[in-house]
Amino acid sequence: MDEDVRPWDVAAPLVRAAQRGDAFAMDDLLKLVTPYVTRLCTPIAPADTADAVQESLVAVFRGLRGLRDPQAVYGWVRAVTVREAVRVARRTAGETPAAPEEIARLQDLLPGVGGGELSAEVRDLLVRLPVQHRTVLVLRELEGLDERTTAELLGVPEGTVKSRLNRARSSFRKAWTR
Amino acid sequence: MNAPDPVARLRVLAAGLRAPLYAEATLGLPFDQVWAVIADLEGELPHLVSFVREFRVPPGDSEHKTAQAVDVLGLRGPFDVRLSPGWCLMQSRLVTMGVAAAPDGPGTRLAVCGAARPAALGPVQRVYRRLLGGRRTRAFFREVERRAALR
Repeated sequence: MDEDVRPWDVAAPLVRAAQRGDAFAMDDLLKLVTPYVTRLCTPIAPADTADAVQESLVAVFRGLRGLRDPQAVYGWVRAVTVREAVRVARRTAGETPAAPEEIARLQDLLPGVGGGELSAEVRDLLVRLPVQHRTVLVLRELEGLDERTTAELLGVPEGTVKSRLNRARSSFRKAWTR
Repeated sequence: MNAPDPVARLRVLAAGLRAPLYAEATLGLPFDQVWAVIADLEGELPHLVSFVREFRVPPGDSEHKTAQAVDVLGLRGPFDVRLSPGWCLMQSRLVTMGVAAAPDGPGTRLAVCGAARPAALGPVQRVYRRLLGGRRTRAFFREVERRAALR
């Protein structure tokens, strides 16, 4: 961002328009604050930066209409982001990995791996997935739980389950085809 | 994560707009094929959204355009359109509609969002919710997939 332009001067008119329901202004504001939110989330939630950023942005934009002083937008974004990032970082510490025998059944997801035995490659690939990705894959794909139940079980919002599942499926497939 | 993927971006906007409609689905077709349908607003939008009878978009590659929509109630109005790969945001005086897509393995993650502008009257919001309820979103995803498969 240009040093001569105070960021809130750029943001304030966007905040006002976004508060009136202008989706384009909201989109511009989103682009403007995302690097700042990311910078805050990275050290607070290093293991879950993407989740922390996403949940912070959702909280910021959900609460935007209640912001009385658009000039105060950056301080307010910072407060909301830190609160959300801390919540995300703490949550991760309480999670437990899926049991190995459950992970073993994930081989059904993979094309060309049959039989009851988990091949060494699949095991290796799963171990390399982050714990939370393994967990959502197991709950959703093997236990057949829906996203809401998975979210309740893990104590995370449904949106997080969705995004983790997307990333887990994608990295699982990518790792397999590599 | 300076550029969140378009689906995550639309999820944030839907929260900000308090959108009565937001849904996601994974389609079993590659991104380029799916996005070709969404990006062809003039040709495809009337097939995808039941209350849009006609959608005229000025020619050219500009990312910002003003289109004209005619809906089944005969309301005619300009729509500002922002269109880029994986991202389509459209806004008129009364409604906002967004579509976002990102590659998901061999398939495509697609999200749709719809909201009435706060300036609009309450009844419009209710009509819009009825026009674009859960059943309609499922139909939207099915129709996108069907039309993308034809390409």
